[in-house]
Amino acid sequence: MQSTHKAILKSLATAGSLSLIIALLPKTALAADYPAPGDFARGSKAWAENCGRCHNIRGADDLRDDQWITTVFHMRVRAGLTGQEMRDILTFLQSSNNRPISASIVRTSAGSVADSGLSGQAIYNQTCIACHGADGRGTLPGVPDFTDERGRLTKPDAELLRNMANGFQSPGSPMAMPAKGGNPALSEGDLGNVLKYLREAFGT
Amino acid sequence: MNEQHIFLRPTVLAVIAALMPVPSIAAGDIDALKETVESLQKQLEQVQKQLKEQEEAAASKQDVQQLQQEVAEASEWRDPNTLIHMAGYADAGYVDAEGEDGSFTVGRFAPIFHFQYRDLVMLESELEITQNDTETDVALEYLTLDYFYNDYVTVLAGKFLSPVGQFRQNLHPSWINKLPSAPPGFGHDGAAPVSELGIQLRGGFPLGSIRTNYALYVGNGPELKAEAEGAAGETEFEYELDGIDAEAFSSDGDGEKVFGGRIGIIPVAGLEIGLSGATGKATITELEAVSIDAGFLGGTAEDAEAGISNEPDRDYDVYGADFALQWRNLDTRGEYVKSKVGNESSSAVAEGAEWESWYLQAAYRLRPTKWEGVVRYTEFDSPHDSADQDQWAVGVNYLFSNNFIGKLSYEFNDGQNGSTADDDRFFGQMAYGF
Repeated sequence: MQSTHKAILKSLATAGSLSLIIALLPKTALAADYPAPGDFARGSKAWAENCGRCHNIRGADDLRDDQWITTVFHMRVRAGLTGQEMRDILTFLQSSNNRPISASIVRTSAGSVADSGLSGQAIYNQTCIACHGADGRGTLPGVPDFTDERGRLTKPDAELLRNMANGFQSPGSPMAMPAKGGNPALSEGDLGNVLKYLREAFGT
Repeated sequence: MNEQHIFLRPTVLAVIAALMPVPSIAAGDIDALKETVESLQKQLEQVQKQLKEQEEAAASKQDVQQLQQEVAEASEWRDPNTLIHMAGYADAGYVDAEGEDGSFTVGRFAPIFHFQYRDLVMLESELEITQNDTETDVALEYLTLDYFYNDYVTVLAGKFLSPVGQFRQNLHPSWINKLPSAPPGFGHDGAAPVSELGIQLRGGFPLGSIRTNYALYVGNGPELKAEAEGAAGETEFEYELDGIDAEAFSSDGDGEKVFGGRIGIIPVAGLEIGLSGATGKATITELEAVSIDAGFLGGTAEDAEAGISNEPDRDYDVYGADFALQWRNLDTRGEYVKSKVGNESSSAVAEGAEWESWYLQAAYRLRPTKWEGVVRYTEFDSPHDSADQDQWAVGVNYLFSNNFIGKLSYEFNDGQNGSTADDDRFFGQMAYGF
């Protein structure tokens, strides 16, 4: 009888402790809609730094937008991501899962957007740096090294601008670069500024 | 009256025209005028053609309404409050162990179901479907209700993969594991706990520039297995610990909970260091094997079972450490785990036992090709000499895509002579994560 009482008390104590821990945790309001938009640039960095911790990085165009929602929530639990990191990664993936567009279909998809007014370096640091790195050598295996004398920057401007505008799959890269690096707000002029920055900063 | 008017009108017009002065027009002017008219006529025809084309190309109001309806329906599909998604993995392969005939194996099919309600809760469940000869086995790998409490805490309730270490909770799926087999000691019945049933808090938080992740849980805990031997001439069975059944139990036989967890630190991108552990009580509940020699004077197998029917609980502790380092094309990781069952003088099995295992693994991707080389070394120590194993495993992988991998590997196993732990093995495996 005494042991039964002891067991009940222990169970109550365990349940009480857990409830207390959960109750004391700060509660944040749920997003007005789900999930709230994240930050594209932070998302690309978090994606590049976290997914490869356990497995080969999946390409953004492997899944649809809605499939990425459940997948990224699942990965939040698995990888111990914060809610903000998860939202940032989701925004990046949902913006980047448009496949590279065939040049024969669209010559450039950048023409109708107004210039951002940002410098090529500023755009690079916002949109490109997560995968291509601050030093232009690429943060992920398979991403081209811009400082390579016989590398990507030896190609003519027209070809590079076309790849930037329409997206491009580098051989051996874990995912195709999405059109405009996944940032649809970039204009043709912005892409030109980025290319100019690439040549100045990393070209030989 | 009307007929007269009709008759007179052309006559009057002819007279007026005859009386008007005739302008003198040069032949060149007429030609120029003619060209202008022809040019205007051509332009008019072009404009009419373009207008016709535009009319054909322009969307009617009906077209626009239909498009709006289609967009609305697409939105319904994209933005429901409840999302349903299936992920998972499957593998099939070939294994040829020393002393056995090589066999094709179906491996496993492990669908993972996700049912999510907005950003509030997600049901996650993985089944593991395997084939044993002609029988199909279905097991519940895990089933949790994940309540996204805030940005730093997710509360999991149900059966979950043990967060002790990395292999069991994150690396064991065949499309992730770079070799076809688990490191000795990290599979079922090894040194590392497999799963737990209880409540878990998981999440991550930044500490300045350092990122961390954590998992804390309380669960029913494992149960212990013993084996008994009745030796010739003896009157009593001799018991010893056989193993830890560290899979989730849906009931807690001894009423003692186990507490555990893991904390991971990511000081720089590409490097993660983890420490984990668990502590609690566990009890012998099952007699795994009984061997009775001829001439044993103590009784039957039922008597051996009866000998452990009133076992006391005893200390149960797990310690673990792990790391993972990714640098360019190199992926290295390692893990150590030790499970310890304490002595208990009032038990039929007074002496405790320890299970210990560690491994180091390196994989190198030969970019830009799709080939990858892997090597892993493991040492597994247990209370049973026949299970102890040192293993070198080498493998070559071909990544058809990042989630579809072909693997070939060979294990050089060093164990007790004559035991299966000493048999080398060749594996071929195709693994697909979806």
